[in-house]
Amino acid sequence: MYGIDGVDLGIDGIVMFCATLYDPSHDFTCLDGSEKIPFSYINDDYCDCKDGSDEPGTSACPNGMFFCRNIGYRSHYIPSSRVNDGICDCCDGSDEWATGTNCTNNCYELGASAREEAKEKHDIQQRGYQLKLQYSEQGKQSRKEKQEKFEILQRERSEIEAVKLEREALKEAAEIPEKEALEKHRAMEEEIRSQRQASEKQKRDEEALAAFEQLDSNQDGVLTSDEIMAKPIFDQNGDGLVSEEEAKFFLSGQTEMTREEFLNTGFVLMKPYLTHEEEVASPPPSSTVTPPAEGGELPEIPEGETDEEEEDFDHGEADHDDRTEDSEVLPVEETLPYDPETQKIVDEAKAARDAYNEADRRLREIERDLKNIEDSMKNDYGPEEEFSPLHGHCFEFTDREYTYKFCPFDYASQRPKHGGSETRLGQWGHWAGPENNKYSIMMLEKGVQCWNGPQRSCKVHFTCGVDNVIMSASEPNRCEYEMNFVTPTACAPPTGSPDDLLAHDEL
Amino acid sequence: MRLNRNCLFFILSFCYVKGVDKGNFKSCEQSSFCKRHRATRETPSAYIADLKSLSLHKERAFIDVINVEANIPLTLEIIALHNYAFRIKIQEKNGLRKRYQVENALVREPETAPIILLEKKDDHIVLGLDAVNRMVIQGNPFRLDLFNKDGHVITMNGRGMFKFEHYRTRKTLPEEIPMEHNPETDSQIEPLDAEEVQQTSEEPPAEVPVNNDAEETEPGMWEEDYKSHHDSKPYGPSSFGVDLSFPGSNHVYGIPEHADSLALRDTLNGDPYRLYNLDVFEYELWSPMALYGAIPFVMAKGKEGAVGVYWQNAAETWVDVRDVPGGGVVSSLMKLVSGGASEPGPHKEVHFISESGLMDVFFLLGPGPKDVLQQYTGLTGVTPLPQMFAIAYHQCRWNYNDQEDVQFVHENFDKEDMPLDVIWLDIEHTDNKKYFTWDPIKFSDSLGMMKNLSDKGRKLVTIVDPHIKRDSNYFIHKDCEANGFYIKDTNGKDFEGWCWPGSSSYPDFFNPAVREYWKEQYAFDKYHGTTKDVYIWNDMNEPSVFNGPEVTMHKDKLHHGGWEHRDVHNIYGMLVVDSTFQGLMARGENKLRPFILSRSFFAGSQRYGAIWTGDNGAEWGHLQVSIPMVLSLSIAGMAFTGGDVGGFFKNPETDLLIRWYQAGAYQPFFRAHAHEQTRRREPYLYDETTKDIIRQAIRQRYALLPYWYTLFYENEKTGIPPMRPLWLEYPKDSDTFALDDVYLLGDSLLVRPVTESKATSVKVYFPSDESAMTIWYDVETYETFTGRGYKSIEVDMYKIPVFQRGGSIIPKKLRPRRSSVLMQHDPYTLVVALDEEGKASGTLYIDDGESFDYREGKYVYGHLDYQRGKLSFRFLDAGRYSDASWVERIIVAGLRLKPHKIFAQIQGTKDHVELDFKYEAKMHILTIRKPKLPMNYEWHLQFY
Repeated sequence: MYGIDGVDLGIDGIVMFCATLYDPSHDFTCLDGSEKIPFSYINDDYCDCKDGSDEPGTSACPNGMFFCRNIGYRSHYIPSSRVNDGICDCCDGSDEWATGTNCTNNCYELGASAREEAKEKHDIQQRGYQLKLQYSEQGKQSRKEKQEKFEILQRERSEIEAVKLEREALKEAAEIPEKEALEKHRAMEEEIRSQRQASEKQKRDEEALAAFEQLDSNQDGVLTSDEIMAKPIFDQNGDGLVSEEEAKFFLSGQTEMTREEFLNTGFVLMKPYLTHEEEVASPPPSSTVTPPAEGGELPEIPEGETDEEEEDFDHGEADHDDRTEDSEVLPVEETLPYDPETQKIVDEAKAARDAYNEADRRLREIERDLKNIEDSMKNDYGPEEEFSPLHGHCFEFTDREYTYKFCPFDYASQRPKHGGSETRLGQWGHWAGPENNKYSIMMLEKGVQCWNGPQRSCKVHFTCGVDNVIMSASEPNRCEYEMNFVTPTACAPPTGSPDDLLAHDEL
Repeated sequence: MRLNRNCLFFILSFCYVKGVDKGNFKSCEQSSFCKRHRATRETPSAYIADLKSLSLHKERAFIDVINVEANIPLTLEIIALHNYAFRIKIQEKNGLRKRYQVENALVREPETAPIILLEKKDDHIVLGLDAVNRMVIQGNPFRLDLFNKDGHVITMNGRGMFKFEHYRTRKTLPEEIPMEHNPETDSQIEPLDAEEVQQTSEEPPAEVPVNNDAEETEPGMWEEDYKSHHDSKPYGPSSFGVDLSFPGSNHVYGIPEHADSLALRDTLNGDPYRLYNLDVFEYELWSPMALYGAIPFVMAKGKEGAVGVYWQNAAETWVDVRDVPGGGVVSSLMKLVSGGASEPGPHKEVHFISESGLMDVFFLLGPGPKDVLQQYTGLTGVTPLPQMFAIAYHQCRWNYNDQEDVQFVHENFDKEDMPLDVIWLDIEHTDNKKYFTWDPIKFSDSLGMMKNLSDKGRKLVTIVDPHIKRDSNYFIHKDCEANGFYIKDTNGKDFEGWCWPGSSSYPDFFNPAVREYWKEQYAFDKYHGTTKDVYIWNDMNEPSVFNGPEVTMHKDKLHHGGWEHRDVHNIYGMLVVDSTFQGLMARGENKLRPFILSRSFFAGSQRYGAIWTGDNGAEWGHLQVSIPMVLSLSIAGMAFTGGDVGGFFKNPETDLLIRWYQAGAYQPFFRAHAHEQTRRREPYLYDETTKDIIRQAIRQRYALLPYWYTLFYENEKTGIPPMRPLWLEYPKDSDTFALDDVYLLGDSLLVRPVTESKATSVKVYFPSDESAMTIWYDVETYETFTGRGYKSIEVDMYKIPVFQRGGSIIPKKLRPRRSSVLMQHDPYTLVVALDEEGKASGTLYIDDGESFDYREGKYVYGHLDYQRGKLSFRFLDAGRYSDASWVERIIVAGLRLKPHKIFAQIQGTKDHVELDFKYEAKMHILTIRKPKLPMNYEWHLQFY
């Protein structure tokens, strides 16, 4: 009742070809040679051999293996710990021979669906592998092109380096006379400018005195608020009156102003209004025909101008009225034209400089291109360059909360689905698969640091498929992400028929 | 003396600044009542017992005790208890307010015994349980002395530290009381209660300045602040404390939970041990700081015997421990009445200080340590036999993300052929931390997930915490709010605190209606998506209140019956678990044994299930301290405990994880757990060697399940825990009294886990009987170690130093399975280890492993005995279980001579069946091959 009789039951739980080792006519030697036991001890539900070889059909040995024959499906071993534990592990139910557990034999169903699955898998593998070959072709082509381009660029680089050196010499040669000529020219300009400034000041003072005389109604040499208030031109807020406040403004906060003060400060404040004196006679701005720039805007106060720089460009044309031009009467710095000789020297120097810059820019361009090619050639695109076409493409996957992005040989990122910024999970690091399957995992590392934690990283598992698709993305450890990426690049060459994908042939 | 201590305090406080967590919890100095009681030292007692007031009843006596300074009469009630114990209660004779009498801790009202008046003199009275076990009450100064067969064993108030702060009315205006100014908190002191001002202002104002009552002016008497928290203390001071010394005892144990050595240390130069249930983040090791649970029970160990004191109080309690140099305890009077008790040598003294409640003390007179345990568990109960799965291996993590993750985890255990019984789901499995719900997307098909687990004999544990999310769409919250089930604020409104879900309220489990309500929530038609294979984890039940003082509830919050949280704090966690237990009983019609894990606990919590040592860390020190912590819990009645394997916080190095699995496999509750921010560490994730070592460790646990199960059954019967300090079995071996690295499982296995990094050998202390030399057998090699003392044992990474006692028989099941349920019908291996005289014995308990049928007699409890060539199995009682399995192997170690033949005879048959066996002469080991002995019958083997 507690054990089974080995002879009656036959040798259960072992592979057919091993059966020869179990010969009922002889004593049994444990497969590890450790012990010799009577044959009746085989499968008698007591563990005699250290390696478990005397109990292939029972749970007696802790390290034993039970062979599920599973006719119709895949045969396989299960640990002895699954034998007679009340759970059907073999599809033929053979592991529950003593427990009375009601196991249904579903090996044929499983076999059929496994065959179906294997066929599908085989099909995918075949198609995927074809694509992989194409990728590989492209990759090799691309490497060849890169190599060629690299060589061309290298040649170009040495050429342009020579050119650059040559032009640098020319540039330096042309710049010596230019420097001298320009120094001479600037000295001349300076002299003319100081002369002009003196005469301008004189002109302005005269203008100011004239204005003062005109404003100083009572000609007492002192400008009072009353005098200011009598001049409608000073009506800043357009209410038709010059208020005391407004007057005070022009008098720099005082109630009166001497001639001298007027020359120094008052004139500057009043000048814009004085020059517009004639216009005062015309109707107020509100009734002009031209549309107002901005509704109800007050006439500009000079100081307000600085803010204009910050104005949004969005306001567009409507904003672009003429007041800017009006108010910013910039004293155009009059420059002295070069004399023909200087002009010639300057032009020559500029041409030399331009030529040099052009060569320098080109060289840097070439160097950048070279570095890019070099970097990309350094990437491990696989033994057959099959991963190369993936470079430059990105793939996305969206789950409940995030959209994940994977750009092979570049980076991986995560973005909350409902707004928020993208977080880098890592940048291309290296292939990290096990020794025998190095290209099955791509490691992206040195992503954004987690708060109070490590830098993020992302492991991408590559498995065979016809399309390049991210199947899943998760964060099994804090800040360590994983993605499953299905791609033709991971398809191994299909071998023979679909059945070969099944582990054993006992279907 | 005092100055010194204060200086030390200053230095310590200074150090606290560095420790991030320690600063969040009170020192004695910051807890006004503790400070006041500590200051009682070295003063003569202000209390006298008025012996003339003795009123003697059949099983109890009453005597007035008077505070002579304040002239406040107290009543001392003495109750004689069955099984060698006295209980005393002290409270105001005419108290202004009733004191809280702890409920729910005792398993039932203790059985009383007749009290005998042995002697009545003017200055003392002697009351006895019998002529030997007696109590002497001394009048002036008031003091109690207890005697058992070993003589004078306990003194109460021998050093005059008894202090009882009676309820009183406040005399002075609160403003007049000088406050300790704390710039950080002063601005946050709440305005005074209008009523209080009203009351106090009735006093004549002229009296205020002349009031010099120290109790009035002492800070912290009528209100107290800690950090930004205010304790309104409407009832004023109510604390009490007293010294208890144990003449002849140099070691005291107990008062868990502390991350400290098993033997309590002298606390004179630091803080006392604190009992106040708190959620402590990254707790400190080797510290008297309070942790998640509190059991106010101490056991004092003398040269041979032991006595215990159970201080039944649920308020904040501090316990000072002192090494007394000797002398001074036995007064001349004592010499007179005790029949020649000599001046005691150096011994231990403890000083219990509680903030409020009734003074309710049990003196347990032993006389041996096991007797004390039986007395204590007789009062507070035992852990009922758990289901088999509960003592198997548990896999937990905060969190397994979704049902696919759960599937992935147990599939991988199967792939690696590692046994696993239970998967756990932490808080994230719920719908937004609303307990009793599931995340609708991640666990959309919990029943499907459960089926996959159940198909493999596995269980699931889900977390249910007592803080309730204040979400108006959450049914529990709606019910609790509508029915007034929450703990109340001082203003009578529902208290709102902060916990995992954010704003939360806390059901008041002191209200019987709340307990009933909580119980109902576990019904399968209420807690949707659960099955009989879902069990429960009650965490955060201290209760944890993130924004409360010391991360818990304010003491002035109000419970059912008008009790302040202050009075009941340490019981809250237990009542949560009590309700859960009732719920699990009810949902399965009382058929299956509940399993509940709790973090918080109190005396009596052992009746509901397991507790674990909280949020430990992945450090060697935490692994080391897990042993004394579990031992300390074990000898305080908590039989079913363990620490998080691997350490909750931080990432364990691989060797630490391995050693932790090996240690955890030999502790009662065996669960791996990890914090959310740690790396995954399920054992299948490691390299082949590591996987193999951990697989072996887990399998060793499973192999010993029959032994563990028997120990748990015996614990239910006797109160003796499965995991034991050596002195529980070797009470006379004084070298065992302070060991923290070695322990016994039952009385037969000596375990010394490797808890040191890179150890190549460990020193193991082997205890021995004095009469005969005990032989210890290495359980793997059967190498023997004889005699008392330390031996060095070599260890590689696989080695767990475990030794079987010569003289014992241990039942095992050596066939690995995916889960314990699947082992139910597997056969036994009996390991018989012979002692010096060639004898051995043991017990084996068998039942269905899950139901309460064993209480109907459906079990087998048998005695295995080997002597003089005969091994027999005899039933110890009337229990019968027909489904018991059989014996496939018997190993006899230490058998000097090879038998010629061995015959088996099964009771009820006449056949003498000859058995196969093998004998290894070099190791003296006999292996009987497949004796096919059925354990539902008695049988015996005869060796010829």
